[in-house]
Amino acid sequence: MADNPGGNALNDTLGIKRAIKHFDFSEPYWEGTKQKKLVIQRCKATGKYQHFPRPVSIFTGRRRDIEWCEVSGEGVVFSYTITHRGPPPFRGAEPYAVVSVTLDVGVNFIANIVDCSADELKVGLKVKPYWHPLGDGTHLFMFQPDREAA
Amino acid sequence: MSLRDNAIVAYAETKVMEKSDRDVWVLAGEILEELLDKSGVDKDEIDGLVMAGLTGTGAANPFWAQTTADVLGLELGFCEQVHTGGCSAAGCVARAAAAIDYGMCDVAFLLFADTHVLEDRTDHSHSYRREWTDPYGLMGPPGAFGLLSRRYEALYGLDYRMLGKLAVTQRNHALLNENACDKLRVPITIADYMNSRMIADPIRLLDCVMRADGAAGLLMMSRKRAKEKGLAKCIIPIGYAERTNFKGGQNLVDVTKCGHEICGKKALGDAGLGIKDVASFHPYDDFIIAVMLQFEAFGFCKAGEGVHFIRDHDFSFDGDLPVNTGGGQISAGQAACSSHNLVEAVRQLRGEAGRRQVKNTRNALVTGIGWINYGRNWGSSAALVLVPE
Repeated sequence: MADNPGGNALNDTLGIKRAIKHFDFSEPYWEGTKQKKLVIQRCKATGKYQHFPRPVSIFTGRRRDIEWCEVSGEGVVFSYTITHRGPPPFRGAEPYAVVSVTLDVGVNFIANIVDCSADELKVGLKVKPYWHPLGDGTHLFMFQPDREAA
Repeated sequence: MSLRDNAIVAYAETKVMEKSDRDVWVLAGEILEELLDKSGVDKDEIDGLVMAGLTGTGAANPFWAQTTADVLGLELGFCEQVHTGGCSAAGCVARAAAAIDYGMCDVAFLLFADTHVLEDRTDHSHSYRREWTDPYGLMGPPGAFGLLSRRYEALYGLDYRMLGKLAVTQRNHALLNENACDKLRVPITIADYMNSRMIADPIRLLDCVMRADGAAGLLMMSRKRAKEKGLAKCIIPIGYAERTNFKGGQNLVDVTKCGHEICGKKALGDAGLGIKDVASFHPYDDFIIAVMLQFEAFGFCKAGEGVHFIRDHDFSFDGDLPVNTGGGQISAGQAACSSHNLVEAVRQLRGEAGRRQVKNTRNALVTGIGWINYGRNWGSSAALVLVPE
């Protein structure tokens, strides 16, 4: 359990064992996480970003329009839910938060948030990346409150 | 030929069970038998089989509809499985009508049989979930509706007691429905709703559907054929629309908006009805808030005014806008490929709903919701308008 300012502590889920099977078209994302870089897809034709990774641009339908770009990972909480009954790997770790964050490049990213109490968690909260090592060289992208930005 | 040249001539439904005590094909056989007995149609007249793809038991069998046809001894000109999730039941009506119009079949058996509690072969592993939500412990549909609800609350405010009012109304309807799952046929209060344990805060236990087993079915043919056969109390589909992956080509969407905005306009427009003309409403209910969001999307009220609309209306079978008069899925059980709201609408329009019969049977609006996509609202929306012949 992280040191949570405020009341209503939440589990940071860092103790959960995660084995993630990648789609081949997502590999550039996972490669980026090895250096704690958030690399997401951008459409060359429209300049817009998309997440989760797709085999084509969702804007043009073209495979050739996909490029991968490093982004800051900073954003604002769009919504959140506090899980009181998790799927099996998370059973016993409740309550924990799942947040949907609007990144500064205009896509929503769903992840966990660490070092954040239920009292601090709000729609509109500014957040920044937290990288959790997964043991295979990759990292899991998560969020933490960006208290300096607030 | 068009949608409204077709007729639903019979319906059948098993009781909803917490867990089936018999195989899914036994349930399918019971539905077939009841439809044949009720309609007087000969088994060999059936040359269309249209099955909802929302099945846990059949999920791993790529030949599910064909296998079922074989098991039931049906020879078909049209054999179809409809894959729009919780929109499949309503979608089956539209596809059966299209097949009849096109001449691929004359008599269609619409089958909604599933035993996903007894035997679930569902596999979500080839989807976004394995990389993008499972690693974060987002708990399937309750998690997604938790995110949706919290966003709605931030935008508009949300008086959860009004969702509780909807839950209580639906539960009261289930108490009057002998076919509802016995486990759910106990009265609840708004306080029970508010105090029910959190699953994916703000989603409570009494917001959620409970999976259950059961089967239902419809028999469809052209109105002309139904008339020639002297079949009475036919139900006519007069408007239908569906929308899958609403705003799917956009990267950031308002999760409180859904494809029903489009389907509602088209289905009601084709039916020649305005929203105030809707006599009873049978919305897909996987979570209570989905009913409220559909009030907004169909235009019963404006965006953000769902709570006020609930406060101001009585959704009981004898109220000013009857809603999910069989209890909905949330209080009858999520069974029979999520077809119960459709079958209930057919029953009501035929005037066969007994103690929960609505007065106004001029029409019924049935909806579907199917699948949960990443960070959006829901994957498919459908709307179907039915009227008595």
